Amino acid sequence: MGGMTMQLKVKLFAMLREQLGETVTLNLGDKATAEAVKPALIERFPAAKPILETARLAINQDFVSDEAMTLAPGDEVALIPPVSGG
Amino acid sequence: MYYLKISESPIDVQSLYERLKDAQYGGIVTFVGTVRQWTGDVETQFIEYSAYQPMAERQLEKLAAPIEAKGARVVIAHRLGRLELTDEAVFVGVAAGHRAEAFKWCQYLIDTLKQDVPIWKKETDTDAVRWGE
Repeated sequence: MGGMTMQLKVKLFAMLREQLGETVTLNLGDKATAEAVKPALIERFPAAKPILETARLAINQDFVSDEAMTLAPGDEVALIPPVSGG
Repeated sequence: MYYLKISESPIDVQSLYERLKDAQYGGIVTFVGTVRQWTGDVETQFIEYSAYQPMAERQLEKLAAPIEAKGARVVIAHRLGRLELTDEAVFVGVAAGHRAEAFKWCQYLIDTLKQDVPIWKKETDTDAVRWGE
């Protein structure tokens, strides 16, 4: 991205959605990797840190298996708090 | 072919069971999860389920496809929205040639669903509102 700022929309669910809203837009600069998403959210919403830490990141509707994965502008990024279906 | 459904409609156990019946199968195992009143000394009044629906459907497909590839049939339904005591929240059914596979895969599916499928419950209990378990 050559130092450009990449805007990333992160979808939120369950208690995170109640506290922070349906989506949060992050500016990740040139470190737009999967592992940068949670720290950026924790920095912005320190009060939600305990829940953010337990949430898992999903990209394009799959859980992230490679934390170093680079994010592209069209990626669907979501934060998944511990699930409780069933 | 598997049948997967995540919706607000009530779960029709009988019609989901009918989808599993087939002459090639000799064993059908079904699991139905329902809304329980008491968890220890916490009393639940009702539960609201929500989902990241497209991802939840995609994850269910990823669970069902390998089991279908082994020759079994998978039917899973999960309900969303407000559920009252005794309402069915989830149905997981597996039809297989013999009972051992049907039991094994049904247990695997419900256990994995509860870990990896993005669906959440918000319980309204008599003393508090609680997310998850």
